[in-house]
Amino acid sequence: MRRVFLLAGLAAALFITPGFAADPTPKDKPAAAAEVPYRLTDTKHVLVRVKLNGQGPFNFILDTGAPAVFIPNKIAKKIGLKLDDKGWGEFDKFAIEGGLIVEKARTRVEDLFQLEGMNGMGMAGVELHGVIGYNVLAQFRITYDFTADKLQWVYLKDFEPPVVKPIGKGGSGGGLDMMGNVMKMMAGLMGVKPNFDIAPTGFLGLEYDEKKDGLYAKSVLKGSPADKGGIVAGDKIESIRTTSIDDASDLKKALAKAKVGDSLKFTVLRDKESKILTIELGKGL
Amino acid sequence: MLRQLMIFAIGLGFVATLRAEDKPVPKLDDKAIVVPIELLPSRHFVVLVKLNDKGPYRLILDTGAPLTIINSKVAKEAGLTKKAGGGGGLLGMLAGGIDQIQVGKMQVGDVVSEKSGAVVMDHPTVQAISDAFEKESGPIAGIIGFPFFSRFAMTVDYQKKEVTFKPNGYKPGDYMQDLMASMMKIEEKNKPRVVSPAGLWGFAVEKEKSDDAEGVTVKTVFADGAAAKGGLKVGDRVLTIDGRWTDSLGDTIIAASLIKPGKAVAVAVKRDGKDVKLTITPTKGN
Repeated sequence: MRRVFLLAGLAAALFITPGFAADPTPKDKPAAAAEVPYRLTDTKHVLVRVKLNGQGPFNFILDTGAPAVFIPNKIAKKIGLKLDDKGWGEFDKFAIEGGLIVEKARTRVEDLFQLEGMNGMGMAGVELHGVIGYNVLAQFRITYDFTADKLQWVYLKDFEPPVVKPIGKGGSGGGLDMMGNVMKMMAGLMGVKPNFDIAPTGFLGLEYDEKKDGLYAKSVLKGSPADKGGIVAGDKIESIRTTSIDDASDLKKALAKAKVGDSLKFTVLRDKESKILTIELGKGL
Repeated sequence: MLRQLMIFAIGLGFVATLRAEDKPVPKLDDKAIVVPIELLPSRHFVVLVKLNDKGPYRLILDTGAPLTIINSKVAKEAGLTKKAGGGGGLLGMLAGGIDQIQVGKMQVGDVVSEKSGAVVMDHPTVQAISDAFEKESGPIAGIIGFPFFSRFAMTVDYQKKEVTFKPNGYKPGDYMQDLMASMMKIEEKNKPRVVSPAGLWGFAVEKEKSDDAEGVTVKTVFADGAAAKGGLKVGDRVLTIDGRWTDSLGDTIIAASLIKPGKAVAVAVKRDGKDVKLTITPTKGN
């Protein structure tokens, strides 16, 4: 047994809805089934992307521990969502990546401390915008299999999910709602200013062939950085900078941090002769 | 408060140096096991769980929970920990810490998982839910989270009120270890995440900052590359790759990072106002 300090708020995205009027079940039926792309965040949350009223995509966590869809005030404002006096809104269009559209999906608008905390520290490795809970999840039969790259969603045609009954005054209670602020402070103390941008690695334009004795250029795309730098089909890639290359994973490692515009020194073997080539990585994939 | 935070920060560092434990994966078979669920009025759902053959206890199955959580009372009863951990409110959690344990045998319905990781903690939200419905249906002892359900292909059906589990060989890893290790890389958190395509596609896209319409525009298609062979043309607006939206350069790279070379995938493009479906098979390359 080990003793650990845990970010209490992160332990589970588990929410209770505060008192609210019955959540009307959507009557319009969306597409029957779809494969929904997902990613696991660094915090092991199941992330799917959603476009709200045509805007986004926004990153949502699938959460059977939440009774409804939750979005923060910031997003509600951004998409111009109208709220009732109890803090609920209804999307005109709730489009889940993979081709599902949920009609008349209702959402609770609330700044969840769990998401704020995780975002403040950059814990998930991606910015989290909201949570998809029971009122949408229950309309589908969903298969979660993390050895596959998609989730299977099947719409339950003849099913009206029972409405949610609120618990007392709601809120998460127990002082947990302080966690968001605590974690933001922590982030400050630790020097975390999370950056959620994506930087593509530089593009080479080289198709390779893994052989027993090393990595060979199988073909070079015409006009690509590899072509301009002088690599030709049949070259054996021996090293990049000072890293010797034996296989594709070596090459991937050598290029992992290389950005568009970086110049890399390649050593290739051609006709039993070593050649040093300088290749300026470009844009592309 | 500052002192608590400092303790907390040290705690992070301490945990990051611990060694990961190997957790065996359950033996694979093709049998899918159906477990009934009880839908609470709050619409959380509960499954019956035996811990080291004690119980059954009622736990909430929560796909949003990266950890399995068991309250201190039940943990004690099932002999999961020598002392009662967790305890009370926020300060208790921050300063007192939480016991991370391994459950020798966790049985959800007829599904058995061995050496499943969990923490002992009195989660206030679980307690609040438990209190609300205890009279009608009994107490709730915690949350079943990722370390358990990730080991299965899990299908949740609210209509039939059942969850189906089929072992899939997935290894959840050590959550706390992974998380703490990732939190230690502060410099990396503060920089953009560098992402590489998994294969060679042979095209380039662009998107102006002022352009907020869906998709990205193809700027270059390299002759004889995978994209050219699949019929991609300069000027095409790429909308999705393998079902993933490509509304930014970053999205496009992420989609390409998830597709192994040799896998033929659907690429949806808009060309002269018409929707065109292409199939592209990226090759081994960079």
